[in-house]
Amino acid sequence: MMKKDNTIISDVQAPVVELKHVEKYYGAMHALKDINLSVKKGEVVVLIGPSGSGKSTLCRTINRLENIKSGEILIEGEKLPDGGKELAALRAEIGMVFQSFNLFAHKTILDNVMMGPVEVLHRSKTEVEKEAMELLKRVGVDSQAHKMPSQLSGGQQQRAAIARSLAMHPKVMLFDEPTSALDPEMIQEVLDVMIELANEGMTMIVVTHEMNFARRVANRVVFMADGAIVEENTPDEFFTSPKTERAKEFLESIKGHM
Amino acid sequence: MSRQISVRDALYETPGKNARKIIMASTVISIVAMVLLLCLVIKIFSDNGQLDAKYWSFFMRSTTWRFIGSGLLGTVEASLLAGLTAFSIGFVFMVMRISFYKPLQFIGAACTEFTRGVPTLLFIYFFFLYVPKMGINLPSVWRVALPVAISASGMVSELLRSGVNAVPKGQREAALSLGMRETMVFTKIIFPQALKYIVPALFSDLVIVVKDTTFSYIVNFPDLMQNAKVLISNYDALLSVYLVVAVIYIIINYLLNTISVTMAKRGGKR
Repeated sequence: MMKKDNTIISDVQAPVVELKHVEKYYGAMHALKDINLSVKKGEVVVLIGPSGSGKSTLCRTINRLENIKSGEILIEGEKLPDGGKELAALRAEIGMVFQSFNLFAHKTILDNVMMGPVEVLHRSKTEVEKEAMELLKRVGVDSQAHKMPSQLSGGQQQRAAIARSLAMHPKVMLFDEPTSALDPEMIQEVLDVMIELANEGMTMIVVTHEMNFARRVANRVVFMADGAIVEENTPDEFFTSPKTERAKEFLESIKGHM
Repeated sequence: MSRQISVRDALYETPGKNARKIIMASTVISIVAMVLLLCLVIKIFSDNGQLDAKYWSFFMRSTTWRFIGSGLLGTVEASLLAGLTAFSIGFVFMVMRISFYKPLQFIGAACTEFTRGVPTLLFIYFFFLYVPKMGINLPSVWRVALPVAISASGMVSELLRSGVNAVPKGQREAALSLGMRETMVFTKIIFPQALKYIVPALFSDLVIVVKDTTFSYIVNFPDLMQNAKVLISNYDALLSVYLVVAVIYIIINYLLNTISVTMAKRGGKR
């Protein structure tokens, strides 16, 4: 697998996602501390860090599944709306893949993929169905299109969930620990789909424990601990010679799993 | 999916040799006891002349059964109307309760508690004695169906709410991420799934509604109970008529329970 070519990332455009001085609390717990992050078009940013470090929370603030206390989140230079129609419209342009897949349990796989474009974007069913089948084929679950989610393996469900997000033609895809709930033999099939997406130039923010994925695919690794960004680095440098003591400790602690 | 585990499998271990002996013995003893009890009841009946032909012979006439049949239709009509109305009212209470507006939440909760707390009979009296005084003349079936529905609505509301709460949070988040608004999330994603969870329980709650419609005799709506009263005064046969009517109610409610269990099993597989 090839690492993405950094040269295609342009500096001219506004970043797809930009966070400025974002702060968040859960009660007294300071969950996000002065987060500044900017993700350009086509970039793959991997968030790693120990559990409870705030990486999932950070990922979820980007489409406002979590509210923030202060700071700014900008999508293509526009401020993330507070709610209502505008927020819904913006969420429609941000793909989200969850740890627990969250396919709609009462709909077939095909209906899951079609739901967004048909119900939210009001596109014609026949047109959407054709595209949905192509997407399912691309992630390799087209033969399961008419089954219910519970009839599929975890890996198949997660790939279908990725197809569901792609059907909305998102500007950016958020992956919140997409392989953490999977049996080991299914992790790779999901990662392969993600690698393909990255190679096609999709802008991605990925929370993951898969260090190999980070190494191979990321343009940038963002290391978080205790709600703050501790280190931002290229994957090469991060994994071979991390700048911070905290990152060194973390890498040491997971050594056996890399 | 693996084979369904019954509650019994989950709660108790498989009985061993000794336990099986004890279970066998107690089964035999209780069967014998029940048969003896039944014989005793029949003996008391016959000693009191309750088995005499005059109390039972009119059940041979087709008119009697036609009359019981029309009462049964009345019961079914009142139960269906009450059931559907209870569902609608309960749905409104539940939506208020889970809404994002504090005052609405409070009203929904208050309505739920009120309707659950007040006995059905009080609602019946209200609609029978007071509502006509306000110049509102309800058709007689509604005089029983509406109060019974109101009385059941709080229960339905709580049931619906438990169904909605049982839908995993991730379903809502996934729907929101696709750009759906809250209303659409509820109608397209949350509620259909909630309904699937609770339809079995809704059917078994219908049993309570069916039993409550026996208050029909108060408002003179000709349901099974009311017609039974007519038969009793015509033939001076209290026990025999009530026995037959009780068996009919048992059959209706057994059917409802069977539907409920079948649906629960089907829902469990999916």
